[in-house]
Amino acid sequence: MINVFKKEDGHSASNDWVESHFSFSFGNYYDSDNVRFGPMRVLNDDTIQPNKGFGIHPHREAEVVSIAITGQLKHEDSLGNSGVIEFGQVQRMTAGTGILHSEINPSETEPGRFLQLWFFPHTKQLPPSYEDVKFDVNQLTNQLLPVVAPSASAGVAMIHQDVTIYLSKLEQGKSLDFNQEEDRGILVYVISGAAYLDNEHLIGKQDSARITNLSSLHIKAEEDCFFMLIDLPGGDL
Amino acid sequence: MLMIRHAIGSRLFLQTDDYTITPEGEKWIITAGAKQEELDNLLAFKEELNLFVVGENEKTWYYSSDAEIEKTEAGNIQIIADHKTKYPV
Repeated sequence: MINVFKKEDGHSASNDWVESHFSFSFGNYYDSDNVRFGPMRVLNDDTIQPNKGFGIHPHREAEVVSIAITGQLKHEDSLGNSGVIEFGQVQRMTAGTGILHSEINPSETEPGRFLQLWFFPHTKQLPPSYEDVKFDVNQLTNQLLPVVAPSASAGVAMIHQDVTIYLSKLEQGKSLDFNQEEDRGILVYVISGAAYLDNEHLIGKQDSARITNLSSLHIKAEEDCFFMLIDLPGGDL
Repeated sequence: MLMIRHAIGSRLFLQTDDYTITPEGEKWIITAGAKQEELDNLLAFKEELNLFVVGENEKTWYYSSDAEIEKTEAGNIQIIADHKTKYPV
């Protein structure tokens, strides 16, 4: 089953320094029917103005992944970690028993666009930790490139959940297939461009699809399409 | 001032000056007055609450990792927190 969530039916929030598009219930937007997809709890598409960001705040019991699309994002935390990511880099933070951090766009001039994803960890009370990794952006073209997975490897951040996050830039007219195991779900999120799922469902920028009970997903770019695909357990509430 | 927020997105469930914090061993018993609607929200989201005591230059963050949150006989909310972190703001 492919459930498409169009941007215009979604929820967003904005102020003078951030514009956020929420895929799941977040902040003052709460819909008990849209709280999670398997272990995935948050997918926010944030654009932050220069020299602005989220000041110091706590997290706990979450695997927080940040993916830079454009611009820069600076992370600092109570463990003493500090890092700036830009396109081609991914952050993974294990909040575990508790961590304080800030996320700021350090640019003086350029806004930054980032995806922030939260997953429930497979184990509670993990020690907090942080890493950022750099992947080869040339490997995104017309294939699925894993950037976050349960096991760390070169260019892949390690997450404490049975989840793999892929990024891909599919050129117009090109296609690829993702084969899925039984009892697992797929989430597809379009960062830019547009693509057909199984030749039937057209999804564009900031649209997403939550997919269950499908052994193979065919993705074809209607126009040049930058998207994220997440392979995760279950998929039901 | 005590603020109780949802851990996912910081939705504010309660803001009050009517509260007490009593240390007990390695835990803290936090009791606060709350209206019925506030109590309902706090109990519905008891697994995902962050508590903040907000000072002029610092905040103190508490949470209960086992969601030990209940309504008292007097109609207040009581949280038994096992985590406390103080940080500057």
